[in-house]
Amino acid sequence: MARVIADQGGRIVVSNVSKTFGKIRAVENLSFTVEPARVTGFLGPNGAGKTTTMRVVLGLAQATSGTATIAGVPYSRLANPGRVVGAVLESTSFHPARSALNHLLVYAAATGVPDQRAHDVLTMVGLTPAADHAVKAFSLGMRQRLALATAMLGDPRVLILDEPANGLDPEGIVWLRGFLRHLAHSEGRTVLVSSHVLSEVEQTVDSVVIIARGHLVHEGTLDQLREGEALNVVVATPTPDALIAAVAPAGASVAAGAEGTLRVTGATAAAIGHAAWLAGVELHMLREEASSLERVFLELTDDQPRSTPQGPPG
Amino acid sequence: MINLLRSEMRKVITTKLWWGMLLGSMAFAALSVVAQIATNGLTGNPAAPLTDPATQRAILSSAVSGYVFSAVVGIILITTEFRHFTSRPTFLIEPHRGRVVAAKLVVAAAVGLLYGVACVAVAVAITVPWLAAKGVAVGWTGNGLVTVMVGALGVVAIFAIVGVGVGVLVRSQVAAVIITLAYLFVAEPLVSVIPVIKETYRYLPGAAGNALAGVSRNQISLLSNWQGGLVLLAWGLLFAALGWMFTVRRDVP
Repeated sequence: MARVIADQGGRIVVSNVSKTFGKIRAVENLSFTVEPARVTGFLGPNGAGKTTTMRVVLGLAQATSGTATIAGVPYSRLANPGRVVGAVLESTSFHPARSALNHLLVYAAATGVPDQRAHDVLTMVGLTPAADHAVKAFSLGMRQRLALATAMLGDPRVLILDEPANGLDPEGIVWLRGFLRHLAHSEGRTVLVSSHVLSEVEQTVDSVVIIARGHLVHEGTLDQLREGEALNVVVATPTPDALIAAVAPAGASVAAGAEGTLRVTGATAAAIGHAAWLAGVELHMLREEASSLERVFLELTDDQPRSTPQGPPG
Repeated sequence: MINLLRSEMRKVITTKLWWGMLLGSMAFAALSVVAQIATNGLTGNPAAPLTDPATQRAILSSAVSGYVFSAVVGIILITTEFRHFTSRPTFLIEPHRGRVVAAKLVVAAAVGLLYGVACVAVAVAITVPWLAAKGVAVGWTGNGLVTVMVGALGVVAIFAIVGVGVGVLVRSQVAAVIITLAYLFVAEPLVSVIPVIKETYRYLPGAAGNALAGVSRNQISLLSNWQGGLVLLAWGLLFAALGWMFTVRRDVP
């Protein structure tokens, strides 16, 4: 049943997109490409401009400058966008009194797909038992599933999902992970999924686009991110000055760490231990800091210069 | 466009709004008719006797009072999209937002037409047997009764279009309803008694509606009924066009 969708028809290209709201530059000169058949994480802290960028790609907001295309054309020029692109947006869009099935039937009609498709996508997200319940009785997790079902109505080859894991329970997150990977890897769809928590999508995504304060800070795979990470070694010693002098010839730099420890960058634990032993420096602790992608992510997204004097949008 | 119309129609019939408001419009029409027949001939009521064709016209044309509900339905049909952000999936499926507004206007007109038919039917269903019981014959031929009935139906229908127009322009549900009701029941009646601008009064939405329904008030000269209908429709379409230009084309919230 898995069918592979033609390769390059689903590429998303964002080129030099800027978007300003009054004096606030939400997105600045942002360019990146999202390829089909893989899950791409769109990461950044809250207020980094992820939602704004997605809204520009979807034609819901106009870029101040630059262009965004899907399958080579701007969203508004797609012949039948509901059949090409499916989207889940951050705050969900439902009439509270309408049942889940009726909600889907409304948009099935607009998209021009048979009513049976509404039943199919309900089953796909596991909401069939709640088909006739009004959406107002739904939990946040059920709303996310219904939003995903709505996005799948037109069997789109491109999926753009803004924080889809919000409100899902751990079981739901595992399910979403498998679902998205299946759509991309087995069916060849383009999947762009945003999150402000790296660990949430770390096991889902094949590549990432990381932005902070409206600027691109990293585009590539998570492995590339790990390789670029500098190794830190935490050292405790009663004679810090002697240690600094001892490791300096090795090209390592030393900074103050937590609780009187030192953080040494640019040398392995073995090299530091050896230098200390040669210099007769007493060590109370020598530990390589656990590599944490999350910390790399935080560092990447923290150290960017502010793009406006007023600070980033909230 | 057919897909959009089907989608918009499904939006209407999948919540309870349409029939709740339908009952409301029928109740208003019924009340207006009952009030006129019940008070006819009482001291202090200047109306001519029930046998008078003018009185019969006035009774049947009062079916028009259901227009308040069709106007509010028009407002809610469109503003609910902004309120619950359902405009997003709609505009994602149809990025040409003018087409969405057009589909909404067509569906609102259909809903309004239903309300109009229901209001007039209620008026007839009350008037005919009641007058018969009083031994009064309804003068169906040559008295313009059918004209006022069609006019009342038209007003109720067109006000649903006006409601959509106002809703597109104002966006906020509560604000649009308050503005519309305050305008129709406070502002426009005030205008009608200001001597200088009295002449322009007849072109205002409420007065145009009165003209179409054949309702006269304070001996003010109104447009002819078909002119009134066209002017009222023009107001609705003008609001919708302004809304499309100034709000709908902007970034979707």
